[in-house]
Amino acid sequence: MIEVLFFGKMADVAGRRSLTIGVPDGGTLHVLRDRIFADALAQGQVTAQDIRMSVNKVVATSDRRIDDGDEVAFFSIFSGG
Amino acid sequence: MMARLDVRLLEDGLDPAAAYAVFDRAEGSAGAVVSFTGVVRGESGAVDYLFLDWYPGMTEASLQEIAEAAAQRFDITALSVLHRCGKVMAGETIVFVAAASAHRRAAFEAADYAMDRLKSEAALWKREAGRDGEHWVEPRAADAKDLKRWT
Repeated sequence: MIEVLFFGKMADVAGRRSLTIGVPDGGTLHVLRDRIFADALAQGQVTAQDIRMSVNKVVATSDRRIDDGDEVAFFSIFSGG
Repeated sequence: MMARLDVRLLEDGLDPAAAYAVFDRAEGSAGAVVSFTGVVRGESGAVDYLFLDWYPGMTEASLQEIAEAAAQRFDITALSVLHRCGKVMAGETIVFVAAASAHRRAAFEAADYAMDRLKSEAALWKREAGRDGEHWVEPRAADAKDLKRWT
């Protein structure tokens, strides 16, 4: 299982702050993103480019492989301080 | 010698006078001490507060990386980066940066550089609440322009 966290606008879009989920087939971030945000993407609420991501607290690109036990996060672009 | 760094993300308030006093007590003999305090603008009553969402671990790491880069780039002896997270009311301090160096230029530049990077690259998500409801704040073009000064 992997722990998925949501921050910034993406927490509102996902309607939650966290989620525990099995590693999806194909095991990459974009597969997970497209599954979790399927409705929001289909409705044009967000674009795939709006959804930033990280694995184990390190910013990652959508082709990043994910493994069981990873901590994944989805978030909007940093606002800065 | 590597500069002394004090980097903290604070949930429960930030007193800039106390922060300055602590920094000055430790670094007052440096020759030059520069400090910057950022305050949440009320925009004439339009903004009640900011909520700064943060990712524990990642947000602190982003502040630390910026402080370390400033210390590498400028000839400073100490740098303090204190940043609020969570709910910050209009009029409250949101960020405090102080730099110490033997001569003034390095301290000015290190504080300026750290602030420009914090404004764009700190791993924080800002939601503004006020007269017109709540909305997430997108990065501003002016902040991106400020950041380019250092490239």
